Amino acid sequence: MTSTRPATDDLRPMTEIQVQQTRDFVDSLNEKSQTYWDMVTVGDELSRDLHLTPELVILYADGVEDYNPWYEGWLMNRWHVEGESPFGPAIVPPMLVSHFVLSVQFDHTKPFAIGTIHTSHESQLFAPIPVGATVRIHTKAIDKFVKRERRYVRHEVTVTDVETGTLYFTETRDNLSR
Amino acid sequence: MTTTRNGAPPVEGVITRDTPVGYELVGVKKKAAIQLMGSRLWGRFNPNHWDPVYAAETGLDAPIQTGEMSTAYIAEMCVNHFGRNFFVGSQMNCKYVASTLANEVITTYGVVREKTPKGGGFRFKVEVWADNDDGQRKTVGWVEADVDV
Repeated sequence: MTSTRPATDDLRPMTEIQVQQTRDFVDSLNEKSQTYWDMVTVGDELSRDLHLTPELVILYADGVEDYNPWYEGWLMNRWHVEGESPFGPAIVPPMLVSHFVLSVQFDHTKPFAIGTIHTSHESQLFAPIPVGATVRIHTKAIDKFVKRERRYVRHEVTVTDVETGTLYFTETRDNLSR
Repeated sequence: MTTTRNGAPPVEGVITRDTPVGYELVGVKKKAAIQLMGSRLWGRFNPNHWDPVYAAETGLDAPIQTGEMSTAYIAEMCVNHFGRNFFVGSQMNCKYVASTLANEVITTYGVVREKTPKGGGFRFKVEVWADNDDGQRKTVGWVEADVDV
């Protein structure tokens, strides 16, 4: 009889050792994880600074196969370059900082609340962010609510330049908790 | 659609003050590749995004992309059409109405729904969405951007 349970290597080829390493890794993530609902209290404020290195920007863009040269402050063969965009040197993709919000709103000093799903965002972009900038991502938990028997946590976000204070980005976002 | 020699979008985009309401943006098409979904910068912190076993334990049919990947696809479409204008004073709202499963192919879409005079130019409002190849809607939303303002 064929099992209908999925296997670790269903979607990519793996040897036995890769399967075991994967299971060990997932178990380690799961060990101390709380639900996000339990981790967050309305009014919680968290803030972290992120240096938007050229390599970080490339990793982000390659993950979504966005090869716009405006984002290139690093090129194979030449390595670090100033880059070129309509604003001068290279800039970061418009929604990049939104992706890093989760590393702030999910208190990084605690085990990550795996099983959480991002469900929506309302984002405002005020100015292009140069590659190489250091941004401060500030999050505030503004609501926890239940909708159709599902538990949601809502945050407000601001992203500013650490050096100049320039406001780059604001966002309101919802996450569905386990 | 207008493109440039080095693959960059046109600096000013292709949506101009003369672009009418009803104009359809040309989307981008991407495959939800498990290797990208589970890369360190994207989904590795959460096995829902790359591990079939954990995904099944949490009630999912397969690992799901982070919604932010769909947002990035839609943003790429918007940069192709608004060029530099998308980086200054724009708005982007997305709701992930269904999960994007590993190996699905996603296409983004957009239609100009409103065009409001602002300054010397216009603020455009575009309905955006992303579907799989079966036409199932995955992400819905809208963006706003200024042209010639």
